[in-house]
Amino acid sequence: MATLHLLSHSPFADSRLSSCLRLLSAGDGLLLSGDAVYALQRGTAQRQALELLPEGIVLFALDEDIVVRGLEDLPEHLHQVDYPAFVELCCRYARTNTWL
Amino acid sequence: MKFVIALYAPAHSPASRRALRFAEAVLAGGHEIVRLFLYQDGVHSASSNIVAAQDEFDVAGQWSQFVQTHSLDGVVCIAAGLRRGVLDEQEARRHGKPAANLAPGWELSGLGQLHEAAQQADRLVCFGGQ
Amino acid sequence: MARSMLIISRQSPWAGPSAREALDIVLAGGAFELPLGLLFLDDGVLQLAPMQQAAAVQQKDLTANLQALPLFGIEALYAARRSLDERGLAEASLSLPVEVLGDDALSALINRYDHVITL
Repeated sequence: MATLHLLSHSPFADSRLSSCLRLLSAGDGLLLSGDAVYALQRGTAQRQALELLPEGIVLFALDEDIVVRGLEDLPEHLHQVDYPAFVELCCRYARTNTWL
Repeated sequence: MKFVIALYAPAHSPASRRALRFAEAVLAGGHEIVRLFLYQDGVHSASSNIVAAQDEFDVAGQWSQFVQTHSLDGVVCIAAGLRRGVLDEQEARRHGKPAANLAPGWELSGLGQLHEAAQQADRLVCFGGQ
Repeated sequence: MARSMLIISRQSPWAGPSAREALDIVLAGGAFELPLGLLFLDDGVLQLAPMQQAAAVQQKDLTANLQALPLFGIEALYAARRSLDERGLAEASLSLPVEVLGDDALSALINRYDHVITL
């Protein structure tokens, strides 16, 4: 019954990430792609918030977006995924919710 | 599983390329794409008028090829298309506009097509936004 | 059994066509009598503010269209309490009868639908 939330915009520019975090249910997933992966950047409030995700909420990021931005020192609990894994996740969760 | 993929971003947006990569992976994974639906600025991803720079990836061209190669049902929302100037021959003529610019493989239709696809599909995945 | 869809509208009516295009999705589904819900979240709650006058910027009146939703069989209308509070909107002043929900109720709401579109 859980939802995979998809974010792809910079967390510094608007309220998508913070609104999304407030609406997560136990068992939900959060997949970061595009500029949303900047939320993983060390030293940011956004990274802090992701470190404090409740247990049972799984954090994913699209690997190509991590690589292109040269991000390092990622959260231990982060699962990097490629496109085939991304598709599998969409099947595994009951629904997706893209924050357009 | 059956997927409907909805795209809300133009070809030059990273979301358009991401949606294309995702769609390719859906098929490669043995799943079915019931329909591709372009809405809001996504209608621009179906434009035949985009000239990608030599050293840039031609997303719109790739989408058109992808839809045709796999004989997919590629629908562009007609209301969103009209509003943003993405027209087929019929609509260009009907509204007295100088050019049709809908790329091969795509067809204009109503939002009902999004709902029809969503009723058939197990998963609706959206890409885009500003 | 028909698959249900929740549309989450997050933009103000004056930020571009997004608010109207969200409503169009709802109306198209309503025409097929599909089970739909519409949630106003973040700037989307600004669509519910009273006394708006679309004509002042040569735009169509969204409020009138929203108020007609029950006529199309769409009555599952929701607004996020937090979003209303952040924007200084009082529940009593809203132009549409909506169920105002807190964060926990909103999470549960999302998980009740087969599909979600957030725009």
